[in-house]
Amino acid sequence: MSIRLSRSRALAFSLPAFIAILPFLGACFFIFRFSLSGERGEIDGWSIQPYLDLMTPFFGRSVWLTLKLAFIATVIAMLLAVPLAFLLTSLRSPLARRCLTVTILLPLILNLLVQAYGWILLLGPSGVLNSTLRGLGIIERPIFLLFNETGVLLGLIQTSLPLAVFPIVSSVRGLSQEHLEAASSLGASQWRTFFDVTVPLLRPGLFGAASIVFAFNASAFAVPLLLGGRRVQMMGVAIRDMISPMFNWSGAAAAGMILIFLTLIVLVFSSWLVRVTSENVRH
Amino acid sequence: MRVGLLPTEGGGTYRFAVIALAIVGILISSLPVIVVTIMSFSAADNTGFPPEALSLRWYWDVIALFTNEDASSAQSVVDSTLTSLLVAVIVMAISTFVCIPLAYALARGDRRIRAGMELLFTLPLVFPLVILGISFLLIAESLRVDIGIWRIIIPHVALVLPFVLRNCLGAMSGISVEIEEAAVSLGASPLRAIWDVVIPLMKAGILAGLIFALIISFNEFTITFFMYTIDVSTLPIWMYSRTVSSLDPSTLALSVFIIIADVVLIVLVDKLIAGRASLF
Repeated sequence: MSIRLSRSRALAFSLPAFIAILPFLGACFFIFRFSLSGERGEIDGWSIQPYLDLMTPFFGRSVWLTLKLAFIATVIAMLLAVPLAFLLTSLRSPLARRCLTVTILLPLILNLLVQAYGWILLLGPSGVLNSTLRGLGIIERPIFLLFNETGVLLGLIQTSLPLAVFPIVSSVRGLSQEHLEAASSLGASQWRTFFDVTVPLLRPGLFGAASIVFAFNASAFAVPLLLGGRRVQMMGVAIRDMISPMFNWSGAAAAGMILIFLTLIVLVFSSWLVRVTSENVRH
Repeated sequence: MRVGLLPTEGGGTYRFAVIALAIVGILISSLPVIVVTIMSFSAADNTGFPPEALSLRWYWDVIALFTNEDASSAQSVVDSTLTSLLVAVIVMAISTFVCIPLAYALARGDRRIRAGMELLFTLPLVFPLVILGISFLLIAESLRVDIGIWRIIIPHVALVLPFVLRNCLGAMSGISVEIEEAAVSLGASPLRAIWDVVIPLMKAGILAGLIFALIISFNEFTITFFMYTIDVSTLPIWMYSRTVSSLDPSTLALSVFIIIADVVLIVLVDKLIAGRASLF
């Protein structure tokens, strides 16, 4: 006697979850419909005017800034994530591994306000960094790292680092020991093994992690809001400003669609890269 | 000879570079939290570093904030904390309740359907939160009835579904059909076999999912930032409205309580799913 999952039972089991995700799907559709609305404040008629209205130098700068910051933050996060993943997988003591896991994971989950307070205390005009540098006599006047691109960049790297580290950890776990041993026994140096064996083997995982980190950073809202002030208008903040002082709902919806479209392009492009590179590895 | 990615001896510049970058990563991850914790013990009124003297006065302030309730304030910290907890608990209950049967159906069902469904339920993870906040706000505003606390619960459920489902699926993957068949051949009905055999075996994964839902909902800022009203507001929003102009040391003491709660819960999740599934 075997247990077969009948179609009706499978449907009944999935139904509650569908109901739970329905508002999300509704929200996706709603924002799409609103971005094509003829009116700014309500859904009425069809028009591409909201998109045409976005073709301004201001919005263009915002898109460029978003892509630039997200790209830099992704590159730096990946540079830090690979060594962290190596460290995490080679730690022997369970306690040390647990401490490192919590340290890396915490920034993704912890209330973003608490982390923003931390950065303000660290980088502010009378913060830790400035008072230390002044105490050592290196600088005379405080350097401004907050409420500009540097502060936002640090916040983005910190919050997106866990999204990079944990997928890389799972691909490092899947790495075969034999390849590394072969390279090493043939006399390759550590650097050579790293660039010629480890990186090519990890490449699919690296692209996958980088694309998620990029999508996360491009759509960041709280970090630029709290650490960038008014001066760093990433798209998330720019979209909020369209609603809050200006009540331009359809414009905000159109800008949102553009943001979704940009992140989708990156995700699709990287999944294509993953496929191409993993085929290369197999050959 | 075992060749690690991180050589234990020798290795020269390679080992140095790996360890140096890892330390930079650890510092970027942890410094903000460490500084908040140190400054919350400061005795001074301002947030200059280093603190000249240490004291617990800001902790007493936080306790006073919670006990000496000023009834006139519309948006009190007690109310927002209670709302936060209530939202988090309901979100946790709903998301787990819907994910357990779905995880079962996906694990026992068609492989192709499973891949598609997993993709569908991962969408909220990559969807920009600002857009989600705005569109949920638009929908809530266009409804004619006031849905009260549910205006925050419904978006939060969508947000935590990917995490809860992943944990439940991870828990299902280790449970073979034979165990269920054994229960049925001993006379249990199929539903009873699920309830008495499969669900107890899934317990660790379910618990991990529950805790994940709790911490994510309790710490969520972006969507709630769009959805809150004067009557329905959460703790992160209260903290934001309090510190929007300047940083107040008692908020740092409150932050330390949140940090401790989060660390304890993450350690718990990590213990529950130790080595069997990835965190995401």
